[in-house]
Amino acid sequence: MFRYLNILVLVIAAVFLQTIIFPAYLAEPFRPGILLIFTVYLGFRAGIRAGACSSFLLGLLQDALSGIYFGLNGFSFLLVFLLYHEASERLYTGSRTLMVLGALLATVLTAFVHLLLLLIFSASEGVYASILGALLPQCMVNALVSGLIFRLIPLAAAEEGT
Amino acid sequence: MLFPNMVNFIRKHGIRIIGGTALLAALLFYSLNLRQKENSNAFERAVLNVTAPIGGTVSGVNGFFSGIWENYISLVGVREENKRLRAVIEEQNTRLIRSREAVLANERLQRLLDLKGGLQGTSIAANVIGEDATPWFRTVIIDRGSMDGVREGMPVVAAAGVVGRVVRVAANSSRLLLLTDHASAIAATVQRSRARGVVMGKAGGLCSLEFSQRGEDVRVGDVVVTSGIGGVFPKGLPIGEVTMVKKGEYGIFQSVDLRPYVAMSRLEHVLVLVQ
Repeated sequence: MFRYLNILVLVIAAVFLQTIIFPAYLAEPFRPGILLIFTVYLGFRAGIRAGACSSFLLGLLQDALSGIYFGLNGFSFLLVFLLYHEASERLYTGSRTLMVLGALLATVLTAFVHLLLLLIFSASEGVYASILGALLPQCMVNALVSGLIFRLIPLAAAEEGT
Repeated sequence: MLFPNMVNFIRKHGIRIIGGTALLAALLFYSLNLRQKENSNAFERAVLNVTAPIGGTVSGVNGFFSGIWENYISLVGVREENKRLRAVIEEQNTRLIRSREAVLANERLQRLLDLKGGLQGTSIAANVIGEDATPWFRTVIIDRGSMDGVREGMPVVAAAGVVGRVVRVAANSSRLLLLTDHASAIAATVQRSRARGVVMGKAGGLCSLEFSQRGEDVRVGDVVVTSGIGGVFPKGLPIGEVTMVKKGEYGIFQSVDLRPYVAMSRLEHVLVLVQ
């Protein structure tokens, strides 16, 4: 029960950080995507059913707070989860370095999936300039913040010990 | 022979098949939702309904701590220099910042009031309480929703000009698609020559005037205003200033870049135009 409450508090905190606190202090491409970092964590650590549902829901939550394409992040977060879950069987998921690298690669992957889906399904010409322009700082910031999150969050640390 | 092979294959790759099916379902879900991208759904309304009240409070608390932090930083040198004067300076500095903030807020609101007076029809004043959760898109959250009369598709302006339009509405908050987002398109005209086009969002907080024919007279420094075509925005609202015009040797259209009059990164107060 407390575990679910912890997760809920973390997700709510992430939402407010991403939409209110970070925009007040950080320039646009340097705002970390915490919900994506949570998805990376789920990909390496969670079971297939709970993880897939949670990552899809996290994506939909991100969609409700960003842009006008509902389901775009739902799809890309689910894809990140499935790929990482598949890879997790062959990797040492206790490593924080792996998580940081995972967050970095997930940022690149989601950016390219967004780009592809928007170019295929929508008339958003020129969107590549926004996405690619912000990609490098986003990767760096997400990698940095994921390192901090995986070091600080007791939930991650507790599971790491088990 | 085929059937047991198939069973074995499903047993072996069951999780991958489920994963692939889930991924396809998610893609289908996204593509089906594209038809409804101009309207909010129950999930989005629920998220906005839940986050907006707390968001307003968090935003307020954030502003308070931000003020304290800035005051502290500005007084570090003074404390080291003279402890006795610190309290006096702190008080005066706080008052000064507050009064300066009040004067600036007053000026902003006055400009908004002037604009409101000049607009036909009613409008709803709103504060910006949040921004887009990702750097790819340009949306902001305001503290007015359906309870205040805000509806999807309504145009939004600030004192300096056009801001965008409402794309998602919850009970007490709404989300605006800014003019600088790639999905935004506003029918516009160049004020001097009456050349027409569509203002669309571009990277770097800029816009471009699309579908403006090569022969049309557009120059750097020209003011671009809403044309009123399409019925979303009233005619004559300022959008931005032309910063670059490029005419290729071939092609029907010319390439025109604009800088919006409204500084989207410093947006605080807006007016939602009720039509």
